[in-house]
Amino acid sequence: MIEPPIPEIQDEQNSQTVIAPEIVTEGQSPPDVADVLIVGAGASGAAVAWRLAQAGFSVVCLEQGRWINPALYPTKDRNWEILGRHEWNWDPNKRGRPEDYPVNDSESAITPLMFAAVGGSTIHWTAHAPRLHPSDFRVKSLDGVADDWPFTYEDLEPYYDLNDLMMGCSGISGDPAGPPRSPRPMPPVPLGEDGKRMAAAFERLDWHWWPSDNYINSVAYQGRDACNYCGPVGFGCTRKAKSSTDVTYWPEAIRLGAVVKTHARVSEITVGSDGRATGANYFDRDGAIQHQAARSVVVAGNGVGTPRLLLMSKSDAHPNGLVNSSGLVGKNLMFHPYSITSGLIPDLSETWKGPMGNILMCQEFYETDSRRDFVRGYAYQLNRGTGPLATALGGPHEPVQWGARHHEDFAERFGHIVTMAGIGEDLPEEHNTVTLDKQLTDGNGLPAPKVTYTLSDNSRRLMDHSVKMATRVLEEAGATRVMANPLLRAGGWHLMGTARMGDDPERSVVNQWCQAHDADNIFIVDGSVFVTAGAVNPTPTLQAIALRAADYIAHERDDLKG
Amino acid sequence: MPTSDRQITHTDRVLLARVMDLIIPSDGDFPGAGGLELAKDLERASQRYGRLRSGLLSVLDALSLDIASRIEGGFAALDEERQIASLKTVEADLPDQFAVFVELIYETYYTDDRVHSRIGWAGRPPQPEGFDLEPWDPSILETARKREPFWRGAS
Repeated sequence: MIEPPIPEIQDEQNSQTVIAPEIVTEGQSPPDVADVLIVGAGASGAAVAWRLAQAGFSVVCLEQGRWINPALYPTKDRNWEILGRHEWNWDPNKRGRPEDYPVNDSESAITPLMFAAVGGSTIHWTAHAPRLHPSDFRVKSLDGVADDWPFTYEDLEPYYDLNDLMMGCSGISGDPAGPPRSPRPMPPVPLGEDGKRMAAAFERLDWHWWPSDNYINSVAYQGRDACNYCGPVGFGCTRKAKSSTDVTYWPEAIRLGAVVKTHARVSEITVGSDGRATGANYFDRDGAIQHQAARSVVVAGNGVGTPRLLLMSKSDAHPNGLVNSSGLVGKNLMFHPYSITSGLIPDLSETWKGPMGNILMCQEFYETDSRRDFVRGYAYQLNRGTGPLATALGGPHEPVQWGARHHEDFAERFGHIVTMAGIGEDLPEEHNTVTLDKQLTDGNGLPAPKVTYTLSDNSRRLMDHSVKMATRVLEEAGATRVMANPLLRAGGWHLMGTARMGDDPERSVVNQWCQAHDADNIFIVDGSVFVTAGAVNPTPTLQAIALRAADYIAHERDDLKG
Repeated sequence: MPTSDRQITHTDRVLLARVMDLIIPSDGDFPGAGGLELAKDLERASQRYGRLRSGLLSVLDALSLDIASRIEGGFAALDEERQIASLKTVEADLPDQFAVFVELIYETYYTDDRVHSRIGWAGRPPQPEGFDLEPWDPSILETARKREPFWRGAS
C-alpha cells in the first residue's frame, strides 16, 4: 500500500481541504553532491526518482514548473471551458506561463504539446495506458523498416506491470490483440452508452475492440478517489482519480528522501574534462544562476525538452552538444499523427459523460498487412463529446456555422458526437528534427526549440485509410453525418525518437539501459529514446523504460553512490 | 492591425450587438447573442486575452471601414441580407481575424447560464459533481473474447 505522505491544508481560494505538496518540498535540503540529479519531474523523471530513492540513492530533481494544487484545476470553475482554451491550453505557445518555453513550430505539420509542472504532461494527459506490441520492438526484422529495439517486449513486461501498480491501471485481461498480461489492479472504466453502441458496431463488422486500459481509477485506489466521470480529464483531475505523477510516484519518492526543486530551469548539464557529467546549472525562480553538483545526471525532458538541453550543453568534450558524437541528438523526431473522424449519432445523447479520451480501443489495423498501401499500422481510440463551447468551436473540425444554420448545426452535434481518433505509427526520419532556434528564447534568454517535421507518404496513406475505416464503423453505429480531419495539427502529445537507443554508438545516443554511449554517468529516460513509435500512447512504455534504467543503475552502478 | 490602446466606443457597441445577432441569431423565442446583451461580457473576455481583443478590433474596424456599407450610410443602415454579405466580405478578407472574432462570440455565448439552460447543459462545471455512468458489465465482452489472439509474435 502506498501511503501519500503529504499533509493536508486549507486552500484559501476554494475553501476546502486539499493536498498542498509545496509544504513538503519547501525547505528540503538537497545534498551538496547528489548521487542522481534528474532533470524534469514528469512521467519518467518521477518513476526514476522513486525507484532510485527506494534503492538508497540520494536524488535531486530540478523542475522548471511548479507544484499544482489539484483543487485549482479548471473543471470546478464555471468558466472551465474558457480556462481550458487559454491558461490551461495543451500548447505552451498559447498557454504562455512563465515556466513554459516557447516552441517554434512554424515548419512542423504537427504542433508539439506539453506541460511544465511537477507531474509534467501527466497533469494534462487523458491517461490512456496501452502497451506496445511485441512486434513494435522488431520492425526491422519483421517489416524491413526503421530499426529493431535493443530489447524485447518480454524484457520490458515486468516494468510495465510495476508501473501499472504505481500509476493505477483500470482494465481487463483477455484482449486478443496483445499478449497475455497480468491482471490490472482495477476493473475497466464503464463504457457508457456511446461505448456500448460502438462496441456493437465493431462486432457487426467483425473488427477488434477492447475496453481501454486507463490510468484512471474505476474504484478508489491507493488513497485516491474513484472517477466520477466528469469528462474533461485533459484539464487535470481535482479528485486525483486520474493518475499523474505528482499524486502517484512523487509522494512516495519524497517520503523516501528525494528532493524536488521547482522553478528551476536547467540551462546546461556540466561536464568535467573527461566528458562525464558533474551536475547542472539552472536558473532559480529569481533568475539567478545556481549549480547542483551530482555524480550522475538523468535527463527526463521528453522528446523536445531533452534534445534542447543536450544541444545547449556544448563543451570542449562534447562540441556538437552533450553526448552527440553520433550526430543524432534532435533527429528522428516522431509524433503519433492523429486522424480525427467524428460521427453525429442522433439517438445517442449526452455523449460528454465519462472520461473523454479513452472508452475503448480498436486494433484491427495495427499490424502490417501486405494488402494495404502502407507499412505498419494504426489503432483507434474512441473519444467522447465535449462541453457546449468546445462543441461550438468544433475542436478538430470546423466550428459550428455562424448565421442562419447556427442552431441547427449546433443541435446536430451537441451531445451526439462520437469520435474515432486514429493514432498512427510514425517511422523515424532524420530530417524530422528538434534544433535550437536562432531568435526565439524563453524567459531566461535560453534558445527555444525549433521543430521541423513533415508527414511521410506512408503516414499520409495510413491516416487516409484510418479515416475511411472510421467512417465505415461510425455509419454502422448509426451516424447520419461524419466529419473528418485527416491530420490533427494540434495533436503532438507524443514526442519521441530524438535521442534514440541502440547498441551501435554511431547510430544511437544511448544503450539499452538508457546510458549515453558518450558518458557513462549520463542517462536519458524519456520518449527521446524510442527507436520506433508503435501506434499506442507512449507513456506507460517510457515509464517502464525509465524503471528498467533505474534498476540498472541500482544494481550495476553502486559507484554512483556517495 | 488595431493599436493596443484602441478603445471600444458606443458606436462599436451598437455595431457589435447587431453583428452578434447575425453570428448567433435568435432561436424561436430565445434571443440571439446580441439580444442577450452579452457585449459587456465579450469586452471583458477580450481584455483578458490579447489575441481575442485583436480579432475583435480588426473585425469592428473592417466593418466600419467597409466602403459598400459606408455608401449606404453605415452597416446599421443595410438590410439583413446585405449585412450578412458585408460580414462574409470581411470573413473572406480577414479569415484569421474573423475566425478569432467568431471564437470570441462563441466563448461568450456558450458560457452563459441562460444558454446552458436552453441547450440542456447542466449549467454547472463538471466538478465536483461529475456525471453518472452505468456500472461496468463484463458480459459485454462475450463476443470479443471469442476471437483468437491475432497479435504478431516477434521471436
